[in-house]
Amino acid sequence: MNLDFTQFVPNIPYILEGILVTLKFVSVSAILGFVLGTILALFKIGRVKILSWIADAYTSVFRGTPLILQLLLFYHATPQLTGYDISAFEAGVLSFGLNSAAYISEIIRAGIRAVDTGQNEAAAALGIPYRPMMKDIILPQAMKNILPALMNEFITLTKESAIVSVIGVFDIMRRSQIVAAEKFKYFEPLLIAGVIYYLLVMILTLVGKMVERRMSRSD
Amino acid sequence: MIKVENLQKKFGENEVLRSISTEINKGEVVAVIGPSGSGKSTLLRCMNQLEELTSGTIWIDNQQLNHSKTNVMELRQKIGMVFQHFHLFPHKTVLENLIYAPMKVKGITKKEAESKAHQLLEQVGLSMKVNEYPKRLSGGQKQRVAIARALAMEPEYMLFDEPTSALDPEMVKEVLDVMKQLGKTGMTMVIVTHEMAFAREAADRVLFLDGGKLVEENSPSEFFNEPKTDRAKAFLEKVL
Repeated sequence: MNLDFTQFVPNIPYILEGILVTLKFVSVSAILGFVLGTILALFKIGRVKILSWIADAYTSVFRGTPLILQLLLFYHATPQLTGYDISAFEAGVLSFGLNSAAYISEIIRAGIRAVDTGQNEAAAALGIPYRPMMKDIILPQAMKNILPALMNEFITLTKESAIVSVIGVFDIMRRSQIVAAEKFKYFEPLLIAGVIYYLLVMILTLVGKMVERRMSRSD
Repeated sequence: MIKVENLQKKFGENEVLRSISTEINKGEVVAVIGPSGSGKSTLLRCMNQLEELTSGTIWIDNQQLNHSKTNVMELRQKIGMVFQHFHLFPHKTVLENLIYAPMKVKGITKKEAESKAHQLLEQVGLSMKVNEYPKRLSGGQKQRVAIARALAMEPEYMLFDEPTSALDPEMVKEVLDVMKQLGKTGMTMVIVTHEMAFAREAADRVLFLDGGKLVEENSPSEFFNEPKTDRAKAFLEKVL
């Protein structure tokens, strides 16, 4: 074994810069996934048959095919089909956002279902219309219950984001591979990347616990 | 006035209410009693469209409740409802529970809603709990908050669906006292209850349901002392 981390010290800032890229990528994808996931969940529980069918079909397709395939399709097929020269970042955000929306919609749907139907009835009896009832009464309670599952999804998203390196987004993963290729030594740079991902996930876990504590004020 | 005409309600093949007709007059306190499964709660829930009628009609004042042109949401503002299991909004404080619907639905200002809420909490004896979350309240306190929440919409009618059935025995009285008081202010009330003593004392009229039918309609004193029907007699023998 000839491990030598010192020779990689000059490369560490370069790899660290990938954190910003990864964070930007993950947060945009997470927001897209969350917003779209919420809408899909509302479609699924709503009374309009065609909308719930669309949402179910959507989930089925995005869960039923590999994420990397979706990513490559968005990246390579978009220019071919539409002529729009999609950037790696855009393709990544789209595929990750749309993909996680499928999972998030299932989480939120289950969360809404778990809220006592008495809450709907109490709101209805007070004359509260559907929209504000969902927004102010049902969803806040659902969110509280599903926070751990949602946090889990965001953690998965952070880790899986490493896949975007295959289409050339300069994230943590790709940068460490570039450094590795440059020096023909793989173990050290990959380990550095691994530590960074692990720390990111730990921070996310901590944030999740803090939010959870804040939301359980009413307990 | 709430007017019920030939109300029928089916859950699938199961006929829960069979051709019920009755009227609830303004200012009246009506107790609905009967064995469990007799359709009492369903009748009450039909009165604000929480259950859709299978056939028949219900009129609230001069508006037909189950008509496609009727804005049910708007009509429900006139009808407060109190549930067996309270259904307070657990993520909102007592005050927020009381001011949410008046602000959102009636569009009154926060200041106005809060002052009304404080007044109602005083009326139900819970001024000190204004900033608590429902989890921290006892069952009796929760139910009193639920009554105040319904009253915050300034309804003309109040429906009570077994309001004391989920309470520990020592908390029943505090809730019934609030209801009695409310009845004295002239509020029109329909109360599904198993509290016979309360029905006898506080109600102006008793509706006795059995097997989905309105079997007897009577004054409390007559109903409890000399019921007209055998089924009411048999029921009272069991519960009194």
